[in-house]
Amino acid sequence: MITKDKIDSFIEKIPPSSKVLKVTLALLDAGELIKAAQIAKEDLALSSYLKSLVNKPIYGFKNKVDDVSQIFGILGVAKSQQAVYSYMISLLSPKKWSLFALNQQSFQNLQDVLSVNWQKILRHLEITNTEIQSAITLLPASIIVAEALFHEKQEDVALLRTASEIDLNTILLRLCKVDLFDICAMIATKWEMHPSIVEIIQAASGAKPSHDTTINKLGQWMHLLLFYTLSQAQFIEAQLNDFIDFHIEYVSPIYDDFAQVMEIQ
Amino acid sequence: MRAVVKNGIGIFTPQGFLDGNNSINLLSIDDVEATTKLNAEMILVSLKKVVFFNRNGLDAFVKMFTRVRAKQHLTVGFCDYDYKKFTAINKFYKDNLNFSLFQSQEIAMLFTATYKNQNKNVLLYSNDKSQAAAMAIELHDNGHNPVIAQTQEDFNIKEKSKETYDVIIKNTYLGQMGQSVATRVTGNAIIYTVSSFLDAEIGNTFNIVYHNNSLNVGFRLFIFDAYKVVSMNIHALNFFSKLASSGAEYNASICFVGLSFDKTPTSFKETLEDSGIMFFEQMDDILQNKELLHDLGGSSASTIANKRVITKAIVTELPNFIEATVNTIEMMTNSQASKNAAKVDQITIDGNIEDKIASSIGFYGDIDGMVILVFPVEIAKKASELLIGEKTEDIELVLDTLAELVNIVGGKIKSLLFEADISVNITLPRTYENVNSLLDVVGDKKGVQVDLSFDNDKFLFFLTR
Repeated sequence: MITKDKIDSFIEKIPPSSKVLKVTLALLDAGELIKAAQIAKEDLALSSYLKSLVNKPIYGFKNKVDDVSQIFGILGVAKSQQAVYSYMISLLSPKKWSLFALNQQSFQNLQDVLSVNWQKILRHLEITNTEIQSAITLLPASIIVAEALFHEKQEDVALLRTASEIDLNTILLRLCKVDLFDICAMIATKWEMHPSIVEIIQAASGAKPSHDTTINKLGQWMHLLLFYTLSQAQFIEAQLNDFIDFHIEYVSPIYDDFAQVMEIQ
Repeated sequence: MRAVVKNGIGIFTPQGFLDGNNSINLLSIDDVEATTKLNAEMILVSLKKVVFFNRNGLDAFVKMFTRVRAKQHLTVGFCDYDYKKFTAINKFYKDNLNFSLFQSQEIAMLFTATYKNQNKNVLLYSNDKSQAAAMAIELHDNGHNPVIAQTQEDFNIKEKSKETYDVIIKNTYLGQMGQSVATRVTGNAIIYTVSSFLDAEIGNTFNIVYHNNSLNVGFRLFIFDAYKVVSMNIHALNFFSKLASSGAEYNASICFVGLSFDKTPTSFKETLEDSGIMFFEQMDDILQNKELLHDLGGSSASTIANKRVITKAIVTELPNFIEATVNTIEMMTNSQASKNAAKVDQITIDGNIEDKIASSIGFYGDIDGMVILVFPVEIAKKASELLIGEKTEDIELVLDTLAELVNIVGGKIKSLLFEADISVNITLPRTYENVNSLLDVVGDKKGVQVDLSFDNDKFLFFLTR
């Protein structure tokens, strides 16, 4: 159904991150917001993405923000980095989705909801580390990978699921010995993302707890946040709710705190 | 979302958070409609992957339960929950709890007639005495040995001696139990489970189309497990007499096991015997008596009254059958298939038949027939790995998984034929631990045989009627 060759070919087709993006991220990392904005402006698609991003109601700015320097200034280092990473992930998303009922806008909505709620969680956990803030941006890449690998195999997957309650991640792991999150890690490595981002994402799969207590805890929060988000009506309709397995035991230690942060009654 | 049917239980497994905003998106009208048509004995919603729910979130499923019960008389309810969830459901539906609650799927299985592993020692406790009694009766009727703990303290003490009990039941509630005629396949016999009072309703709850097509695909022995039947009236008598007459042309045997005539006129027994129906006290009187089993047609299909030949309509659709089979095996083994030879003749199995197992599935509707797959054991194991998740030497598990695989093939055939404007339904899959038992069934039937190979491993496809 899906072979290791197909996965290799998918990874190979992913372009390395552009020079503009690399320099922008490096300058943001160094806290050079103004210089980073000047470089970012060279990539018109990035500028346009940033403008549309910060002017969405979910970000809650009263006045329209048009200038990249202004955007980076308002967002600060960590959120600006997160926004650039989100842009990079959005470049991978297909023009037309078929496995999941998504489009460019709904996928971006998903990215936004995850990012904003991840900020809430990190505030609660009193974590300010920029890499950890950006880690959430890699999570939706698992959805893009699933779409890319399985969109031609929808009928097979549907038939398989008549016989077994099996998720796409498990199918891939059993067939090719790598899962969606391993592939996300390969993308992150190709784009030279920080290694801690990769570790958190692997833990966030829920299937591979980390030996590092801090990373494991972040993995638990991120796994629960993912399913909290995918339980929203629009994402259930998009068929996203069961593309990976929800590991309820993994998140049980943090559920009460999570419910408090998300104000779940 | 759709239910996955396993061991006669259709299970929905929602994930994450269930509330009024999202649960209607999980269960569309089509999903509910498809559920009412499932060949299952129970429909359950597993809460093992639900971290939060409220009443509105469960209501969509409860409405589905009502629909399924009204249409198919099945047992319905929730399963796989902890004490907190159990308490919450009881609180939400305290005045209207007409569905069942099973703490786990394992516990639910004990209450089905299709469960293979009977004779379990079961410890159970419910603070509602009538519930405890109802569960004990159901368990006893299903061939288990229930022990009721009288108090919570008594339960706590008994629960400690874990080796004494195979299963411990708590936090479980029996709502209305199913009344449909459950069906299971044991070897070459089809066993129907009937219960309580048999009256005109048997005509609605018995799936006559399934029965007729089981006859068509070669089943000859039909056993009614009637331990739980209290009595029958003249309408049920007429129904069974007609069933026996219609099976006569196929030389089919119909038996009743465990039927008591305490409250049923003994003249009914004579009438049924005149129709050719036989009566036995115990299921093992038939299933463990190989000679009798053979005489009753439980191992042979060579006595078919009207030998059915493969038709042009079926041969025309052969590419669809091959495509469905090849695609499914390719998907399960992640390897490429090639077609080696095809012929129209009796089935020929080359090489060592000792290392081969087989499975079959019947289809009926606009066209009817049976697809048989014969695998070397090693390919069967490989094809099972995707569903099992690991390598296994457990042949029972491989056979069970093979049944699921052939079910997937059947599903694929159904959808490919549907695209060709041909409507069919599929029967329950059947597996054969050795080729000889398959040959007993297929006999000298002619069909289309296609030899296929996957990465140099050969397997055989046979399409017959």
